[in-house]
Amino acid sequence: MLLPSFGFEPAFSRYELTLDHWLALGSQPEFWSGLWLSGSSGIIATLLSYWFASSLLVLCYHRSWFQRFQSAITPILSIPHAAITIGLLFLLSPSGWLIRFISPWLSGWDRPPNLLTTQDPYGITLILALVVKEMPYLLFALLAAISQLNPNAHITTARVLGYDRTSAWHFVVLPRLYELIRLPIFIVLAFNLTVVDVASIIGPNTPSTLAVTLLRWFNDPSLSMRGLASAAAIALTMVVLGVMIGWHLAAKTLISYRHYEALRGDRKTPFRWLTTVGAIGAACTIVMTALTLLILPLWAFAKRWRFPDTFPSTWTFDNISRASRSLIELSTQSLTLAFTSTTIALVLSLILLEKERHTDLSRSHTQRLLYIPIILPQVTLLFGVQVSLLWLNLNGTWYSVAALHTFYSLPYVYLTLKSPYLAYDQAYLDQANRLKPLKWRNFFMIKLAMLKAPLFATFAIGFSVSMAQYLPTLMAGEGRITTLTTEAVTRAASGDRKLVSIMALMQAIMPLCIFALAMLLPRYWTPIRLTIRKRMC
Amino acid sequence: MLALKDIQVFNQQEALISPFSATIENGTILAVMGPSGIGKSTLLAYLADSLPAGMNGKGEIWLNDKPLNPLPAEKRQLGLLQQAPLLFPHMSVEENIRFALPSNSPKHQRRELTMQSLASVGLSEHANKLPQHLSGGQQARLALARTLSSQPNALLLDEPFSKLDQSLRTDMRKLVLLAVKEHNIPAILVTHDPEDATAISHDTCYLSPAP
Repeated sequence: MLLPSFGFEPAFSRYELTLDHWLALGSQPEFWSGLWLSGSSGIIATLLSYWFASSLLVLCYHRSWFQRFQSAITPILSIPHAAITIGLLFLLSPSGWLIRFISPWLSGWDRPPNLLTTQDPYGITLILALVVKEMPYLLFALLAAISQLNPNAHITTARVLGYDRTSAWHFVVLPRLYELIRLPIFIVLAFNLTVVDVASIIGPNTPSTLAVTLLRWFNDPSLSMRGLASAAAIALTMVVLGVMIGWHLAAKTLISYRHYEALRGDRKTPFRWLTTVGAIGAACTIVMTALTLLILPLWAFAKRWRFPDTFPSTWTFDNISRASRSLIELSTQSLTLAFTSTTIALVLSLILLEKERHTDLSRSHTQRLLYIPIILPQVTLLFGVQVSLLWLNLNGTWYSVAALHTFYSLPYVYLTLKSPYLAYDQAYLDQANRLKPLKWRNFFMIKLAMLKAPLFATFAIGFSVSMAQYLPTLMAGEGRITTLTTEAVTRAASGDRKLVSIMALMQAIMPLCIFALAMLLPRYWTPIRLTIRKRMC
Repeated sequence: MLALKDIQVFNQQEALISPFSATIENGTILAVMGPSGIGKSTLLAYLADSLPAGMNGKGEIWLNDKPLNPLPAEKRQLGLLQQAPLLFPHMSVEENIRFALPSNSPKHQRRELTMQSLASVGLSEHANKLPQHLSGGQQARLALARTLSSQPNALLLDEPFSKLDQSLRTDMRKLVLLAVKEHNIPAILVTHDPEDATAISHDTCYLSPAP
């Protein structure tokens, strides 16, 4: 990737190094405006997501309903972001649901107003879409991390020392919690700065964000644009790294300031209203997510839905039956890719983890390598991959798409499986091996069987990661391999809301089903198995 | 003086102990005994307003003739010492104390008060260590010093000696007794170890399960 930006392109028999592409890039006004848009929307969206998620935690963690709430939001995480973004587009656009709600009785509009409520030039709806996607993820990461910290006892201790609950969180829990979720925050930051599908659905165009612009340059038939795109991709990577360093320094400063405040003994933190506002923001985000999920089936089954009506006037199954052939084709493609790549990723993770159990040394290396696909911008990495695929003549094949899906779900699969797998009490397996010297059989029938629940949950996560992949499918498939996701994103702007909603809906339903199965199957597996055995005897 | 009137604690709606009343004079320790699981810790959590979700309690709490019931945990000015020392792992030994000092103590005094407090439990030379690098006995002493630094008006002791070995336990008991006398505050010690009660308490009572 680095080499083509300096003019070195073996695929096109160019071997000299120049700075031309970089100079051309600097003189492109689209580069600078895209850079500004990417930077501002990415940073603001990450800040808002963290602010909302942490405020909600501070204000509600101790409440009795929070446990139930926690399990209710978990499935949201499995819904591909393209589906949510499409729902959001149908919610917020000038002819969208929100404006229909207030029209014409409040707004007086009987036709869609001429407003830029989505794809606004400042990227406000883009920021909103990113927050809707990332806030639940960060909340989930915070909740996973907080279980290691014993927060209630520490908060009680601080409260008995005279600090109110909010201050106790800010002084005693959040500084330590932040250390634990630094990686998820960086993942969110990298995603927000470089996302293509969300930005091309709901973000501003002309100029669009840098990631979208550079994808357009890359797909431009003229070769000079390719060099420009390479240089822009490198620039984007530098921006991501720069923003991460800046973020890290800012967070460090803030935490040490908090520390200094805590030691002054003031019993109240300033700006407490920020926490309240943040929690309200979090609530709004969740409501927004629920609405986006409601609007997809509405459009999918709508026959007539004229503008100011709040609901469709007539319903039909025609939308689905009309598109059934292509839907079945796209779903099969999505499903086979997701099942294949997740299964491979799961097997690879098991091998890695089994190795890791024996050696302490390999741990840091494997982990660092695995973070590459989630931290480095997809656009940058995939350009490099595509160039290599072209070189190997593997571009546009199903195998290369499946390989890329595996590459992208592997880190999530590995990281999710890691702690339950390593926490397994090996004594059970040892005992089994003493009783019956069938090592492999015991590994499956004892160890893996006991780890059913985490294995299934991990599979569901890998599955939803694969379902959500847009850019890898597009880049390696070259349009020859299409999935529900690539079709839905491509058609999002087409205006055929009914068809797009059906695609987005199916894209959302499949991971949700897998998620539900992953929760239910391990619980009922053994009872079901025993009933079947009884019947057979 | 700490006065408790008809205190009861509940798990969901089910009463755990029969109503419990007591008066503790300044500078004295009341030992509250009872088998484990009866609700001793829950009783103290009710007094400190830090009941876990699903638990609740009723009964009047009076501290120096003022009712504590309407006040939230942070306004009650009680010191709570638990089995686990619960030291903040991201603050040094000395910072744990400074965090507890009341905000009205003048700036130049804060350093001095901190060092005094550490000296009183023999931790002066560990001021800049992290609490997790202290031994178990040192951690227990630091937790006591931290609690006292917040200048509480009463002390709630939730089996604070149970995790210590025999000789450390004797030392800690002496320190606690000394602190209660020196600060002239009432203290409640819940324990299932009769030795705790005989060693330092001025009075002992037994909790009975709800009928």
